[in-house]
Amino acid sequence: MRKLLSGICALGVVAMTGSASAETFKIGLIASYTGAFATWGTQFQNAIEAFQSIHGKSVKGPKGEIIDVQLVYRDAGSAGPDKAKQLAEELVLREKVSMLGGFELSPHAMSVADISKQAKVPIVVMNAATASITRGSPYYVRTSLTIPQWGQAIGKWAAENGIKKVYTITSDYAPGHDAEAYFHKSFKAAGGEIVGADRTALRETNFAVYMEKALQAKPDAVYMFQPGGSPSISFVKAFSERGLKQAGIKLLGNGEFAELYLPHFSDDVIGTISVNHYTETNTRPENKIMRDQLIKQFGEKGVTDIASVGAWDAMALIYIALREHGASADGLKYIDAMKGKTLASPRGPIMIDPEERDIIQNIYIRRIEKVGGKLQNVDIATIPMVKDPWKIDNPVKR
Amino acid sequence: MLSFALTVLLDGISYGMVLFIISVGLTVTMGLMRVINLAHGSFAMIGGYVAGYLTQHGVDFFLALLLATVAAGLLGALCEVTVIRPLYRKGELAQVLLTIGIVFVVTALITEIFGAFPYRVEFPVYLTQPLDIGFRTYPAYRLFLILVGGIIALILWLLIEGSLYGAKLRAAVDNPRMARAVGMNVSLLFTATFIVGTALAGLGGAIGAGILSLEPSYALKYVVLFLVVVIVGGEGSFKGSFVAAMALGIIDTTGKYFVAAAAPYLLYAAVFALLLWRPQGILPPKSLA
Repeated sequence: MRKLLSGICALGVVAMTGSASAETFKIGLIASYTGAFATWGTQFQNAIEAFQSIHGKSVKGPKGEIIDVQLVYRDAGSAGPDKAKQLAEELVLREKVSMLGGFELSPHAMSVADISKQAKVPIVVMNAATASITRGSPYYVRTSLTIPQWGQAIGKWAAENGIKKVYTITSDYAPGHDAEAYFHKSFKAAGGEIVGADRTALRETNFAVYMEKALQAKPDAVYMFQPGGSPSISFVKAFSERGLKQAGIKLLGNGEFAELYLPHFSDDVIGTISVNHYTETNTRPENKIMRDQLIKQFGEKGVTDIASVGAWDAMALIYIALREHGASADGLKYIDAMKGKTLASPRGPIMIDPEERDIIQNIYIRRIEKVGGKLQNVDIATIPMVKDPWKIDNPVKR
Repeated sequence: MLSFALTVLLDGISYGMVLFIISVGLTVTMGLMRVINLAHGSFAMIGGYVAGYLTQHGVDFFLALLLATVAAGLLGALCEVTVIRPLYRKGELAQVLLTIGIVFVVTALITEIFGAFPYRVEFPVYLTQPLDIGFRTYPAYRLFLILVGGIIALILWLLIEGSLYGAKLRAAVDNPRMARAVGMNVSLLFTATFIVGTALAGLGGAIGAGILSLEPSYALKYVVLFLVVVIVGGEGSFKGSFVAAMALGIIDTTGKYFVAAAAPYLLYAAVFALLLWRPQGILPPKSLA
C-alpha cells in the first residue's frame, strides 16, 4: 500500500514538473473597444493576434522552457482614467497578469503608474503620447511616439523648405498644446514666423471662423493638430471651402492623415503635408510581413496604423524580454532587457532609449498624393533617429 | 470692416440654419406633446447616414436629400406610434430614460452597419468650392445652407400662421385639453407633427453634415445644442426656435472670432444670460407667456 501511495506521489511529481515546463505569461491589454476611441482596441488586438500568428503564441525561455504568452483584453470604454486604473487593478489582482499594455490615451497610461510600482508590473505603452508619461514610473516602456517628436520635426522641416509664415490651429487638449509648443519652438528657431495661433474646442467640427482668420493673416501654411476622425475631416473641408487651398496656402498636419482615415477625406486633402513615425505604405520587408498578415487575417479591416505598429513592436520587445528572463522574473528585469534594444520595426529602425525607456525613431515627412486612384502618404523627407525633445529640454534632476 | 462683419454674419447664420432645421421638430415635440425626446438627434443622424450612403453610391444629391428626409420621417412615424405614444403623461423620468435608450440603440446600429469612423455625404462639386459674391469669395456650401434654411422657415411660417393645420397646432400647443374638448383629433395631430419634425431633422442632418459631421456619437454629441435651441427659443415656439438658432449661431461665430480661447464657454454663458432674462424662452407660446 505504501509503495502504491509513493508511486502515486511520484506520478504526481512527474505530472507537476511536466506542467511546469510549459509556463504561462499573462499580459493584460487595456484599450477602448467602445465609445469615441473604439478603433484603438481593435487595432491593437488585431496587430497582436497577427504578430502571434507569425511568431507563435509561445516563446522559448532561457532554460529552454516553453512559455505560453496569453493576452487578456479589457475595454477601457473611452471613459476616464479611473476606469483604466480599475481595470489594471483587476488584471493584476484577479487575472494575475505579469505585464500591462495598450493605453491609447495619456490619462489612462498615467493612471496606472502607482499600480506598476506596487505590483512591480511593467507597462508597455502602445500609443499614449504625452512626453512625460515614462517618467511616472520606472516600469514604463513606450513603443509609440511622443507628440514633441512630431511637432519639432515638422516645424524645423517647414522653415527649411520655403515656408516663412505659419498660422497654427490646434485642438485645446494636452497633445494639442504639446504639438503647438514644439512646432512654434522649432519653427521660430529655424527662422520662421508665427502669424497667428488659435486653439479649438476638443471635438470642434465647425472651423469656418478659424479658416477666415487664417485666410486674413495671409500665411504660407496652416499647421493643424486635431484628433483623428471628424474634427480633422471637417477641418480639411473648411480649409478648401474657404479658399485657403486655392490661395496657395499649404496645410501641415500630424497623425490626422493616417491611411486608416484617408478614405474618409475628399480629394481636397491632396497635397497636405504631415509628419508621422509610421508611413503605412513604406516598402520595408518588415512592414510587408505585418501588413500581409493583417490583411490575411482581418481582410479590409486589417489596415495598419500607428496602433498596429505600436502593438507589434511591443510584442516583439516582450518576446525578447521573455527569451532572456523566462516567465517569472522580477518586473524590472524585463524593463532592463528592453532598454537599449534596437529593432527593425515595420516603421523603420527604432531603439528603446536606455536612459528614459522611451522610443527613439525616424520621423517621416509625407505628402498626400493620389497613387493608383487611392489617396496615399508619400514620404518626402526622413529625420533619422529622433529622441523625445521634451526629455532633452527637461533632464532628470539628480 | 463692413465686409468683415458681413462674413461673420453669414458664418453665424449658416450655422444657425442647420441648428434651426434640426431643432424645429424637437421644439414642437417638447412644446406640444410635452415629451422630452432626447432621441431627436438620432433622426438627424439617420437622415445624414442615408444621404451619405446614397450619394456615395452615385444617387443624385437632391434625390438623396429627399429620400433621407422621407426615411427619417418614416422612422419617426414608427417611433411615435410604438415608443413615444405610450410615454405621453408618463412623467419626465420615463421619457428621458426611454429616449436616451433609443439613442444608444441607434448609435450601436450605426456603428455596426457603417463603422465607427466619420461618414461622408458627397456634396455636388459646386457646393464644395468658394463662390465669388462680389466683395469676396465665400463657401458656396454655406450659402446653400442659408437658402435651404430660409425656404424651410418660410414654408413653416406660412403653414403654421396661415393654414388650418397650423391653427390646430397652435391651439393644441396653447391648450391641449381645450383642443381635445372641442373635438380635435390631437393624437393624429401629434403623429403628423412628429413625422414632420423628424423628417426635417433628417434633412438637417443630411445638409448639415458639412458642419455637424456624421459619426455614431452624433446623436449624443449634438443633442445638447438642439435642446439649447429649444429651451432658449421657448418650448413649442416655432418663431422662438428660429430666433434662438440664429442668435446662438451668430454668438458662437463671433465669439470664436474675437475671444477664441473663451469660445466654448461663451455659448453657454450666453444661454445662461438669455434664460435669466427670459426663463420661458425668447418667444414662448401663449400658454406659457
